[in-house]
Amino acid sequence: MLEIKNLHARIEEDGTEILRGLNLTVKAGEVAAIMGPNGSGKSTLSYVLSGKEDYEVTEGSITYAGEDLLELDVSERAAAGVFLAFQYPVEIPGVPTMTFLKEAMNSQRKERGEGELSTPDFIKRVREEAKKLEIDFNMLKRPVNVGFSGGEKKRAEILQMSLLEPKLCVLDETDSGLDIDALKVVADGVNHLRSPDRAVIVITHYQRLLDYIVPDTVHVLSKGKIVKSGDKTLALELEEKGYSEIIEQAA
Amino acid sequence: MDSALNRVYTEGEKALFAAFDSANLSGDARDEAIAALKQNGLPTRKVEAFHYTDLRSLLRGDFTIAHVPSHEDARKAGAAFPRLVDGAAVLHFRDGHFLDFGEAMPAGISVSTRLPDAATTNDVANALGQLNMAFATGGACITVDANAKVAQTIGIAHTPVATQSLAASRVAIEVGSKTECTFVERGVGPDGNTYLHAPATDLNIAEGASVTYTMVIEEGADARRLGRLSVWLAKDAKLKLNVIAFGGKLVRQELNFVVQGEGVELEIAGINLIGEENHIDITSRIDHQVPDTTSTELFRNVVTQRGRGVFQGQIKVAQPAQHTDARMACNTLLLSDDCDFSAKPELEIFADDVQCAHGATVADIEDSHLFYLRARGLKEDAARRLLVKAFVGEVLDEMEDEALAETLSGRIDAWMERHV
Ligand SMILES: Nc1ncnc2c1ncn2[C@@H]1O[C@H](COP(=O)(O)OP(=O)(O)OP(=O)(O)O)[C@@H](O)[C@H]1O
Ligand SMILES: [Mg+2]
Repeated sequence: MLEIKNLHARIEEDGTEILRGLNLTVKAGEVAAIMGPNGSGKSTLSYVLSGKEDYEVTEGSITYAGEDLLELDVSERAAAGVFLAFQYPVEIPGVPTMTFLKEAMNSQRKERGEGELSTPDFIKRVREEAKKLEIDFNMLKRPVNVGFSGGEKKRAEILQMSLLEPKLCVLDETDSGLDIDALKVVADGVNHLRSPDRAVIVITHYQRLLDYIVPDTVHVLSKGKIVKSGDKTLALELEEKGYSEIIEQAA
Repeated sequence: MDSALNRVYTEGEKALFAAFDSANLSGDARDEAIAALKQNGLPTRKVEAFHYTDLRSLLRGDFTIAHVPSHEDARKAGAAFPRLVDGAAVLHFRDGHFLDFGEAMPAGISVSTRLPDAATTNDVANALGQLNMAFATGGACITVDANAKVAQTIGIAHTPVATQSLAASRVAIEVGSKTECTFVERGVGPDGNTYLHAPATDLNIAEGASVTYTMVIEEGADARRLGRLSVWLAKDAKLKLNVIAFGGKLVRQELNFVVQGEGVELEIAGINLIGEENHIDITSRIDHQVPDTTSTELFRNVVTQRGRGVFQGQIKVAQPAQHTDARMACNTLLLSDDCDFSAKPELEIFADDVQCAHGATVADIEDSHLFYLRARGLKEDAARRLLVKAFVGEVLDEMEDEALAETLSGRIDAWMERHV
């Protein structure tokens, strides 16, 4: 589903290279966890996958569902099924959440040649998904993420993911800011989306999330490269030994 | 001081004077007004009040006095622009002339269709007053009876019929004490017509009355508008004014408020959408003369392409006007490299116990907002429009008449389709 080869990416503005020859393959149906120290490039990878223009890919390739992902712009990637749950969801004053959700769903449907959702059908879907994620529907009457608590923002990201039904989900530290109960609710939401034709990349620092969303593979990112890959036991090993020992061993 | 004798007139000035001479407009007040215009010439940027709108260079010719159109032509010209408010009772002005289409006015409202009295000064900064004084043909005096609660909206609709008409009119509205009433004034015209629209409205609000007034400026792409709204507010009067401007090519809209009764609440909110090569100037003066009054003024401006916008907001608080609470904000989104907006807040405060605040901001669309929306599948255009709409939405959300707000929201969407 996703094949990243020798990916080099730098910050457009000042030319600092952040990803330095990253290789990663994620198959359809797979849940891949990416772990790594602060500043190792995890969020950068998620942004590069979603097409953020602040980063420039200087070398390497990203193939998604058999196509060159780098040829697509941000909204085309979203319509093609790439979804990033942001580490820091953005507050957008003045844009009502419901208006935003409806536009997002309909523009993706349109891009895929499907008809627009009727307003009642749309509201029904949002209500259903919000309920599963224990999100108060009234919260969605507010502008996008504005005044949401840290945990509410993360839930709202997963709500969007459930509504948009992407093919490749990238969750960037979705567990940070969630209380223990919320973590379970959100993990349930993600597990619900697990399917043979969908891939999930979970970026996290903590085993706790991986207890709920059990990964098929675990990858350690350090200084812009995947330095070690393994199965779910690698996460436990990391938890036990810390990054530095594992990264040193790998070097 | 330049004298009229050695002044070289511009095409615009020549067109004005020729129009006056050809029109058989008589009366001392008109003669004095045109004499002042001849004496001063149109104001240039050297005149402080016109610093950002050099009327002398911006007002080109291509207009002349138009005769009263036939009812048939007048109707046709109006039919091109569907009404903003269903069920309003509308007074129709065409090329500056009043045309009676027999629309019944609701109980409590009486209309006499004569040209109301007005006063002007010879001051160069008062060019719009002189222009209206010299040229106004059609007029109406609207009286709202004391204590009337008028549910029906009163419309004042200005549309050109002839091409290149110099359309000047004057409306005086006397709102009786303790009344409630709603007005929608709209200037609208076709593109490709270089008409000059110079409307003046005097609104006198008596004690305890509450007025909602919406001014919609939808002049054609090639039109010029030099308009003035003057308002006097008596004790405990309330005015909620919305100004929504989409164009013309050159728009100068002056808004003057004299707060002369205690307990006045004045609320002004506007949206200026400035695209193409349009120049839109809102110049407002709020004069707090007595204690215990409030005014708020908020403008949200969206400027793109080669548009130029101006907001001059003057607030005066006289020495006796203690406990004045005056707040003014002017926020602008600049969407292109070639557009421009000048904001000039001006506070003149002579009372010591007052709260006055003003703020002007200029920004571009936030990249992080744009990215977030696009990352959810919105096309760049759609994302930009959603953000622009959010920016101006606050003004619409606060409007009294939700149906009108909805209609204007649709107009804004249509504008964004073409400009954002
Ligand atoms: N736009 C930018 N401008 C400057 N530096 C940047 C920018 N984006 C990323 N960086 C730098 O790139 C490096 C990688 O950042 P990134 O956010 O990808 O790390 P991360 O692995 O997600 O870290 P964390 O675990 O703290 O979330 C950091 O040193 C960061 O400061
Ligand atoms: Mg990060």
